[in-house]
Formats: sequence, structure tokens, C-alpha cells
Amino acid sequence: MTEDTYHSLQINMEKCTGCVHCLTACPTKAIRIKNGKAHIINELCIDCGECIRFCPQDAIDSRTTSFLDLNAFQYKVAIPATVLYGQFDNATLPSEILFALRRVGFDYVYELSTINELNNSAFDKYLHNHPKPRPLISSTCPVVVRLIQRLYPSLCELIVPIEPAREIAAKILRANLPRVLKISPAGIGIIHITPCPAKMVSINHPASMEKSYLDGAISIRDIFKPIFQVLQQSKEETIMCHLFPETIFSGIGMGTALSGGETRGLKNYRTVAVSGIRDTIRVLNQVELGLLKDMDLLECTVCPDGCVGGPLAVENRFLAKSRILRLVNLMGERTVVDSSDMDLLYNKDFMSFHHPLKPVPAPPLDPDPAQAIQKANRRNELFKQLPGKDCGACGAPDCWTLADDVIRGMAALIDCPFMKKEKK
Amino acid sequence: MTEEIVFEQEFPVKGGDFSRAGQVSCKIKNLLQELGLGTEIVLRAAIVSYEAEMNIIMYAWQGCLDLSVTPHRIRIVVKDSGPGIEDINLAMKEGYSTATLEMRELGFGAGMGLPNIKKNADEFWITSEAGRGTRLEMTILTNGQKP
Repeated sequence: MTEDTYHSLQINMEKCTGCVHCLTACPTKAIRIKNGKAHIINELCIDCGECIRFCPQDAIDSRTTSFLDLNAFQYKVAIPATVLYGQFDNATLPSEILFALRRVGFDYVYELSTINELNNSAFDKYLHNHPKPRPLISSTCPVVVRLIQRLYPSLCELIVPIEPAREIAAKILRANLPRVLKISPAGIGIIHITPCPAKMVSINHPASMEKSYLDGAISIRDIFKPIFQVLQQSKEETIMCHLFPETIFSGIGMGTALSGGETRGLKNYRTVAVSGIRDTIRVLNQVELGLLKDMDLLECTVCPDGCVGGPLAVENRFLAKSRILRLVNLMGERTVVDSSDMDLLYNKDFMSFHHPLKPVPAPPLDPDPAQAIQKANRRNELFKQLPGKDCGACGAPDCWTLADDVIRGMAALIDCPFMKKEKK
Repeated sequence: MTEEIVFEQEFPVKGGDFSRAGQVSCKIKNLLQELGLGTEIVLRAAIVSYEAEMNIIMYAWQGCLDLSVTPHRIRIVVKDSGPGIEDINLAMKEGYSTATLEMRELGFGAGMGLPNIKKNADEFWITSEAGRGTRLEMTILTNGQKP
């Protein structure tokens, strides 16, 4: 788990100037500046991508699948997140965007709003069959899942053990495409198109299954330009594909990119939608204290306003949200999933987790309780000596974290420039 | 008996400060996690501190949670200066509350606070003097499960 390739986020050492913007932005305090460059502590990073948003040098990259990687596959399938529909101007309809994706180099494009709806009815059924415990928490946001595993171990059992729509879509394709196309499973590449840096981690190191059904994830940032060019160059063709649509879209599943979109279809349950990393942390604290037991389902997305606010999206989230809301209004409550199909898949456990989520507890101050207590005392003493300016000049995000690093043997008190001054 | 190693920290709480409700218990929870205590123990201590913290915020003028941890037990002593509790037996009853309508509208004051503390602590003492304040003392044993 500590190998360099685990996380999706990486610092571009040439661009990094060692400023402190990412330090303070990181919600899990996983970044330190050492020798003038930012470094990510693997054990603490949850791949939320907040640092990407705050880096003024554009020095934080997300390791996603590149177009060259696609050449490894004989048959290439794209499963774009519905966020993609909000990235282009108002006149560009989803069917045109899907057409352009095929032109960009995919043999097949699988539309996700339908599977979002399928997922939604699976949640409905799960809530109905499991009156306790409450509140249950959705597993869609991979960062929330990792946050809970690390910081809220007691909440692992509250996560609905149903895979997110992107995995279910890929699973359906895996089950059918090799047979239909007569291509070996290894020749088929199923790629998610996403605004989210954490999807790559959830694909390479899934938390609830042995192996992801997806082969990779391309960021919207990377694929925006090729799609845009196709839309510009083949206007007539895109209009034709709009007039003769090949895909059926689901109204219920269309708004999943927005906070609250996942719970919108669940009319019989009390649901809460939280978005943004800091608010998610606040609400999870309350859940852990048993304060939200009167709610049925909690939807948390760590990006502001939901996936539409993902750091690898191109369009600002307000415009993207407005466009997706327009689509949601146009399509209304249109459903496309047959409930008996859903029942069949649900009863076969087709959508369920392979194995339960396990907590990933952070290491204590010391494995020996007496030592840990002494270290905690020492940390309080060290903290009192520090100036309390939380300036980040020492390389840690704040004075408390420097004190913590010192007792964990990762830093020295003298790293603080104010302490140096006093020594002189 | 050798001198016991103990971690001590004070957490002041201001009465009426609903906007910061839960911050102290959250800090205590994180700290106990860092000390390597088990999930169930940490959670019980968090719930106990949260209820005590909320009682100060809702009813007292000001107060303080004193946390002390040894390798064998967590002790939380809560002292507040406030109106105190007239009838402790009554206050210990589930569902009994003197919360105002306003507090109930905020979702507090279900009358479960003190019973919840009693349920989650291994030892619990409460003393109160009307017009002056209340003192709670809770212990959670860290090397044994609550019977």
C-alpha cells in the first residue's frame, strides 16, 4: 500500500515551488514540504484532489489513463460519467457528446444514466429489506469510502454494499461483450470518463472487490479537447445522430452528477445529501455519535455540489450544474429500467460488494499504550512551545501537525523558523 | 504500586455555544484513536463526552471537560457552573428533559443525555447543587468490555 503508484495524485517536482497552498488545503493533512518541494504521505492521502484545486502552479497531476494506453485493447468501450453532459455549451445534447466520443476512438459508448437508475432502484430495495441500522451511506464517492475506512471505522458497516453505477455498467459489459463480439475478454478495454482523481485508485485498488471491472479512467480534462474538436468539425453528423438517437436516457439517473441526484429517486425514504469535503467530515462526525439515526440514507460527495465539482472537470461547476439541471427538467421522471430486470439482478447479488469494507485504522502514536500516552503528553508540551501561527514554513500544515511529526520522528522542532530565531 | 502514566487535558466549553457543538468530543475521539484504543471504546468515550458537552452548552453558563487517560482507563470529569439539577433521579429518567422548545426544534433535548452517559460509561457519578452547578465523573475501562 505504500508503494509510489498507489495514489492517483502526484507532485510535478519541476513545477512545484514549495509554497504552502496545498498544505493547508489538504483535509487529512497528508502533505509536507521537504527540501522546497511538496510530498504526499501515502498513508494519509485519500485522493480527494483538493490540492489540485488549490495549487497555483498546476503542479499536482492526477495519474489517469492516457490515450496511448488504449492501444493495448482491440475493442475500446467508454463509460462516461454524466458530468460530461454539462461540459459543453447549452446547444450540445448528450447524444451528440456520445457520438463525438465514438469518433474520438472508442468502438462503443455505454450511457450511464440508465445504470444510475438501476442503482437507484437497488438502493430502494436494499433500504426496504434492511430497516436497520440507520443512516445507511452510499458507496458512490470513492473518497468517502476511503475516508470512512480510515477515520470512521465504526461506520464501515453503514455503507450500502451495492457497487456504484460505473462498476455495475462495466460488469454488465464484461458479462456480455466477449460473447456478442467474439473477442477475448482481455481484448476489451472498458474505460470510465471522469472528473474525479480518486476513480483511478478505486479501479487499481478497489475497497469492496478483488478486481475492478473497469480497465482505467480518462479525465475529462484530457478528453475535452478531442471531443470539442469533433463537435466543431462534424456539425452535420452530430445533428443527424441527435435526430436519430441510438441511446435512451433515464430522467431519474440523469442528475446523479449533482449532489442529491442519487437520492432524488428514493421517494419513500428520508435522505440527506452532503457535498464538499469539510462538510462531509462534519456530518460523518455526527453520524458516528449516533445523531442521524432518524435518516435513512446519507449521500456524501466530497466535491462541492457533487461530482460536477470534480477537480478534473473542465467547465466551472455552476454552469455545468445549470446544464445538467436543464436536462433533468427536460427528461423529468422518465424511467427506462424494468423493475423485474432489477429484481433479477438484485436477487442474484449481481450488484453487491464481493466482500465487506474493512476499516483501515491509522497507526497509533505508539503500539504500547503507556508509550502512546507519554508521546501524547510530549506532543502537548511541544505544541505549547510553538508560535501557533500555522504558517507552514516548517513544511507541516500547522503547528499542531509539526508537534505531531516531531514525536513521530518525521520532523524536528528546529524546522520551525521561529524556534531557530529564539535559539540565536 | 508504581506511579501510573497518565495523559491529562482540559477542554473548556462555553454555555450556549451551539455553533461549536461537538468539537470537544470530536477532539477527544481523535485523541483516543491516536492513543491506539479500540473502536468500540473510543466510540463510547466520544458519545459520553458529546452528551456531557451538550449538557454544558444547553444548560450551563460555562464548564470544562477534564480528560485523563491511563493504560487501563479513561476518566472524564465534567464541571460546570450553571443552574444545577434539582432532582437527579428525575433527570436520569429516559425522556425527561427541561429543554426549551427552541432547543427541541434544533433536535436536542430528547431527555436521553444522562441515561446515554450511564449506558456507555463503566462508572458514573453525578452530583449537583441547585443554583451553582453540576459535576459528572465517568470512567471507561480500556482493557475490558462493559458487561
